[in-house]
Amino acid sequence: MATDLPAEQELVILGTGLQEAIIAAACSRIGQRVLHVDKRMYYGGNWASFSFSGLLSWIEECNGQTSSSLETVNLQCKILEGEDTILLDQVDQSIENLEVFCYVSAEEDAEEAADVQMKQANGTSSAESENKVLNQSEESPSYKTAPSDDVESPTQCSDVQLSTKDAPSASSSTTSEMDVDKKEIPITAASDDGNEANNAEKPNITFATQKVKEEMKKMTYSQIMKNGRKFNIDLTSKFLYSRGPLVDLLIKSNVSRYTEFKNVTRILTCQGGKVEQVPCSRADVFASKQLTVVEKRMLMKFLTFSLEYEQHTDEFQGFQDKAFSEYLKTKKLTENLQYFILHSIAMVSDTASTTEGFKATQHFLQCLGRYGNTPFLFPLYGVGEIPQCFCRMSAVFGGTYCLRHSVQCLVVDRETGRCKAVIDSIGNRITCEHFIVEDSYLPQKHTKNIQYRQISRGVLITNGSVFKSDSEQISILTVPAMEQGRPSVRIIELCPSSMTCPQGTYLVHLTCPSSGTAKEDFEAVVTALFVNYNETEEMTCSDEEDEKPKVLWALYFNVRDSSAIDRSAYEGLPSNVYICSGPDPALGFEHSVKQAEAIFKQLFPEEEFCPPAPNPEEIIYDSDGTQQGDAGFGSSTKTEESVKESINENAEPIGGGDKVIETTQSLDMNEMNQESEMTNPDAQTLKCSTSETNT
Amino acid sequence: MAGPGGNKEYLFKVLVIGELGVGKTSIIKRYVHQLFSQNYRATIGVDFALKVINWDPTTLIRLQLWDIAGQERFGNMTRVYYKEAVGVFIVFDLTRSSTFDAILKWKNDLDSKVKLPNGNPVPAVLLANKCDQKQEAMAHNHSEMDQYCKENGFVGWFETSAKEDENIEEAARFLVGNILASDHLPTTEDTDIDKLKLEEETMRAESKSQCC
Repeated sequence: MATDLPAEQELVILGTGLQEAIIAAACSRIGQRVLHVDKRMYYGGNWASFSFSGLLSWIEECNGQTSSSLETVNLQCKILEGEDTILLDQVDQSIENLEVFCYVSAEEDAEEAADVQMKQANGTSSAESENKVLNQSEESPSYKTAPSDDVESPTQCSDVQLSTKDAPSASSSTTSEMDVDKKEIPITAASDDGNEANNAEKPNITFATQKVKEEMKKMTYSQIMKNGRKFNIDLTSKFLYSRGPLVDLLIKSNVSRYTEFKNVTRILTCQGGKVEQVPCSRADVFASKQLTVVEKRMLMKFLTFSLEYEQHTDEFQGFQDKAFSEYLKTKKLTENLQYFILHSIAMVSDTASTTEGFKATQHFLQCLGRYGNTPFLFPLYGVGEIPQCFCRMSAVFGGTYCLRHSVQCLVVDRETGRCKAVIDSIGNRITCEHFIVEDSYLPQKHTKNIQYRQISRGVLITNGSVFKSDSEQISILTVPAMEQGRPSVRIIELCPSSMTCPQGTYLVHLTCPSSGTAKEDFEAVVTALFVNYNETEEMTCSDEEDEKPKVLWALYFNVRDSSAIDRSAYEGLPSNVYICSGPDPALGFEHSVKQAEAIFKQLFPEEEFCPPAPNPEEIIYDSDGTQQGDAGFGSSTKTEESVKESINENAEPIGGGDKVIETTQSLDMNEMNQESEMTNPDAQTLKCSTSETNT
Repeated sequence: MAGPGGNKEYLFKVLVIGELGVGKTSIIKRYVHQLFSQNYRATIGVDFALKVINWDPTTLIRLQLWDIAGQERFGNMTRVYYKEAVGVFIVFDLTRSSTFDAILKWKNDLDSKVKLPNGNPVPAVLLANKCDQKQEAMAHNHSEMDQYCKENGFVGWFETSAKEDENIEEAARFLVGNILASDHLPTTEDTDIDKLKLEEETMRAESKSQCC
């Protein structure tokens, strides 16, 4: 099928991880011929997202049960005099210590599973209709389309819930200032309310518990399998900082049109085994019931200071290079607050310097409020969408894509020492100016002096949230080291409306820099926050155990972290071979965007990095096809105008109403705040390119 | 979003797939822009084309026709391409039987990558393009083609010519009719309550002064 690959390229890119995808898009966009291949049959490499069955295949592949190795062809006939070869690795060694645990019954209960599925398909399960009754007092239009925790929601008894009731959907930052004021005054009364709520809901709990148990019986492995298509399980778990470089790049390049995001709705903290919500916006702080009035003032004062800490360096003179955690102790903050700031807001380690701590706190605060009441966004359908968005952009601009296809060796010119061609997995010789490759494809010969770090990853499918709420939430929870020598663990919990797991389940991603195997690194945290689902104990479990979500299925693995490796550490590679690292352990995407842009700038120092792609509706096909546009489209002014007119009359600006496009709008709109302005930059871009064409 | 006077408004994402050079882009051009070009050019820089249809006096349909980027020809399209599609044209070239043989490959690939929210396959219409070149066209008879569609899960088929503007309008109306008849109707108004709401909140959050 891939025998007719073009034999001459400017760039050959091996690996479809995020950096490679961004570079591919950036290079195609400026008219470079790009061949982008990946030896796997899916996009993203270690950035991929999988359905449940897709994940099982990936696990098998990692365990070597299915061979992914591609047949190789005799190379000698392809190599000319004066040329050397560098063989690439066809066996991926970036994943280790893979362990899978299944806690649900593997027995098939076809009738029940089918029943559940049917209910879900019709969207009219009895649980849901009950749920509607229970919640009818709430203004929650989201229930119409997202009858999420129909089981869990009645078990709510947390006091924080009261504060979120005003804004049951994605964002509680919209709680108006008025509400905040109302809440602020009777602080003590509020905590009494909390107790009352606890008491008042007790009858409810028993009722709900019964229901939970009924539902539980239906939770089988086959049910997970049957809903497997609804999972999008990320190998790399991250959030976008709403003012981070990836958001900027998505908007700038118009790649944002390919995907949609959800606000991350909660930042959680875990102290003494108890999970709480961290107040981080002004509204949250004042609405918080965990904080005393005094604490609220302290926290606000500190956060305000952090926003402009650079102007007040004298305030932390002598602490710049000392630990942030030590500095916080000197600031008359309660232990509670120190904990919030260090672990949930700055999210830095105990040993991070004060300057690092302030920088992180400031970044966090600056990102608040751009799209929601936390600083973070999550891509619908998972992180694995992001590299694919850039690949689509590259393909739209002429990039050639071929999966399940690899490069078996590089051809190096002995005289110049440069890589002049590659030989692909079926023996095609393809010339190229530059070769870009992801670290894990490199053979040991070139990496033998490199000490790779590791990232520990855990994926849990659970039956409920670690912090129950009456609406679906996307949460992040940082748990500091529970044992000596273990790193702190980042937990991202995804709900069904993030399009990553089916109704009735939650998807929990654990990430930390490895100190041992992933299972070892996460054992204490998982034990503290979850219980393993166990059918036989269902009937006898205590109330306390009932509170914790149950793990239905779990996966642990370690993945290579090549993000800190300098290019010079790789030995014996031609200078026109560029190396992208695999995923890094940080929460955001800063490393990837930075690396991709740096490589692009090395390749094409004069060119703009990812200029905006014209909007599809602004592109006009020419009638005779004789003009050669720079991006392949010419224009005939008359048609252009008439079509534009019809677009403006009949359609929303930029294809409004479309889900895919809407994202562009939502991202753009916030940037520009006006719909009408939005079409202009693109129209201008188009005009520029077309006028060039005509001259 | 809502049309005036409570009119219905839909946005449908429709994929146009098939082998290299069967006329996918020509069909889209003809349908959306009433243009036809003899000169072949791989599709570059174009995500999709938009056609606005006044289906009936109270229904407005925006049809987004997604071309496969010319270079994604090995069938390795990203999920971005497939996701949330509600209808498909699979195109082959009547003058090249190899493009007919590839139909099932595309159809199977499609069905494995995207389904309607209710789990049903996305309605697909088969287009036998370049019917203007009859003298070179493969022999086929109508009842056989009907049978083929039935067996392979196509809702229907049309002989089309982008060059002569034959049957393209008809095929599009047929597909839209099928989409409207399926029980999943993504209107711009109600599919997305969650996200529209999110956007509004987003706006409000934005207009508010930053925290702290």
